[in-house]
Amino acid sequence: MLQNIAIGQYVPGHSFLHRADPRSKLLFIILFATLVFLANNTVTYAVLVAFTLYAGLLSRLSLGYILKSLKPVWILIVFTIILHIFLTKGGAVYFQWGWFTVEERGIQQAIFISLRLGLLVVISSLLTLTTSPIDLTEGLERLLGPFGRIGVPVHEIALMMSIAIRFIPTLMEETDKIIKAQTARGANFTSGSLVKRAQSLIPIAIPLFVSAFRRAEDLALAMEARGYRGGVGRTRLHKLAFSWRDAGIAAAGVLLAITIGWWRA
Amino acid sequence: MQITFDQVSHIYGKGTPFERVALHDISFTIPSGSFVGIIGQTGSGKSTLIQHLNGLLLPSAGTITLGDTVITSKQRLPHEQRRNIGLVFQYPEHQLFEETVAKDVAFGPSNFDLPEAMVEARVKEALEIVGLDYEKVKDRSPFHLSGGQMRRVALAGVLAMQPKVLVLDEPTAGLDPMGRQSILEAIYRIHQEQKLTTLLVTHSMEEAARYADYMLVLAQGTIALQGKPDEIFMQAERLRELALDVPETVAFVSRLNQLLPDKESLPNSVYREEELIAHLLERLSVPKEG
Repeated sequence: MLQNIAIGQYVPGHSFLHRADPRSKLLFIILFATLVFLANNTVTYAVLVAFTLYAGLLSRLSLGYILKSLKPVWILIVFTIILHIFLTKGGAVYFQWGWFTVEERGIQQAIFISLRLGLLVVISSLLTLTTSPIDLTEGLERLLGPFGRIGVPVHEIALMMSIAIRFIPTLMEETDKIIKAQTARGANFTSGSLVKRAQSLIPIAIPLFVSAFRRAEDLALAMEARGYRGGVGRTRLHKLAFSWRDAGIAAAGVLLAITIGWWRA
Repeated sequence: MQITFDQVSHIYGKGTPFERVALHDISFTIPSGSFVGIIGQTGSGKSTLIQHLNGLLLPSAGTITLGDTVITSKQRLPHEQRRNIGLVFQYPEHQLFEETVAKDVAFGPSNFDLPEAMVEARVKEALEIVGLDYEKVKDRSPFHLSGGQMRRVALAGVLAMQPKVLVLDEPTAGLDPMGRQSILEAIYRIHQEQKLTTLLVTHSMEEAARYADYMLVLAQGTIALQGKPDEIFMQAERLRELALDVPETVAFVSRLNQLLPDKESLPNSVYREEELIAHLLERLSVPKEG
């Protein structure tokens, strides 16, 4: 029921992308996002699309599954396309009906901006598909480390994030279970007036809250019982270490930046 | 209500990297009024199997027949049929949500548009069946009860729908031995009084041996063994292969039989604790009289 959400769902594997350091992946995505916004003509967009497809290959996940990550944003993409086709003017006129025209620039912008959105979503899904949430937050914690010196509680933020991410599937499973249990008791979530349908969420929401609080309490107790007292003096079981893969990612980043910088109009 | 599974398979997450076959080619028939024990290791498909019984999951292939209703991958169970099949999940107390016990138990029957007076009567009856005093608990918050009482309230919530089939997924998990015994006795009493068809999912061979008159042993999503309990317990070797054990009564009888001469050995059909005790007492008392 709730298993069809691809974004943020880690698929275990041993590909190049899986084994690269989360820090380099995160930094690369920041660079890539900047480059996506710098791209402004056919050549640069083609380079970015080709690169993203290649990165998809490197993840050794099926292309169809990666593209599934576009599902939550497709409405946004379609909306962008329509807006640009109708509202952006300039260049040759392809179609005219009264005051209403479809012009060259409009088509071009529609393609570019939707590509821009799509590329951003796909590349960041590649990150979450190939990086376990634990690695991801650890990478973030290390990258944000310097801000700790000016009083930002980096460790606590990272811990909160990893706990939140860790509990998403658990709570989804729990929700699924509660929905099933209440359905078995004859609850009906899909018919009736809006008020009635909102009311029908109560039998799901209350047990879910109760269980979330119970889990939080259990987790806090278990952590304290094992001596957790915040980030000070904490050592790590798995130390992040850069490897040749990260050198490869850095090289790809530099190369991509130069290419885009050179070819952009 | 007779229940028939005909070559039922279920696949989770079809078309994703997480695709997993949970049930494969399951076929069995349960006559109306039986008490069926479903046994298997964690991950053997027990929970998936029982969710098919009231249409929460649809089979990926195959046909399920409940009385006169047929469920296939394309044919859902009609809403009003749901109340005929009472499904009690693992840790059912996690589904409690109302302010008072009475309101929570009433949730099931009210979902099927019964008149209010009838709902109240059913709530009262269901709470008494599970051994709770209606007057004492009806206005209390279900969250202020003890674990065992919460489980009883949740069970009453399903019984109040007056199902014809009762399906229980490890109803005794996490209870103390006393609590286990009394909840199972309550279930068995309703089973007999209301002539229900009952399916009990359990880890414990003892529980299955005590109550079941038919057993399904699941392993890796298929039915490894099915039959009457004594037939199942005779295949001790096969059970051990499946990492399951025969009940202690059965182990005791077979060890006793090794010591006894062949013609005096105990029959395999004696595996319920009380029956075994009665049988042994009878045996032991004969020489005294003679």
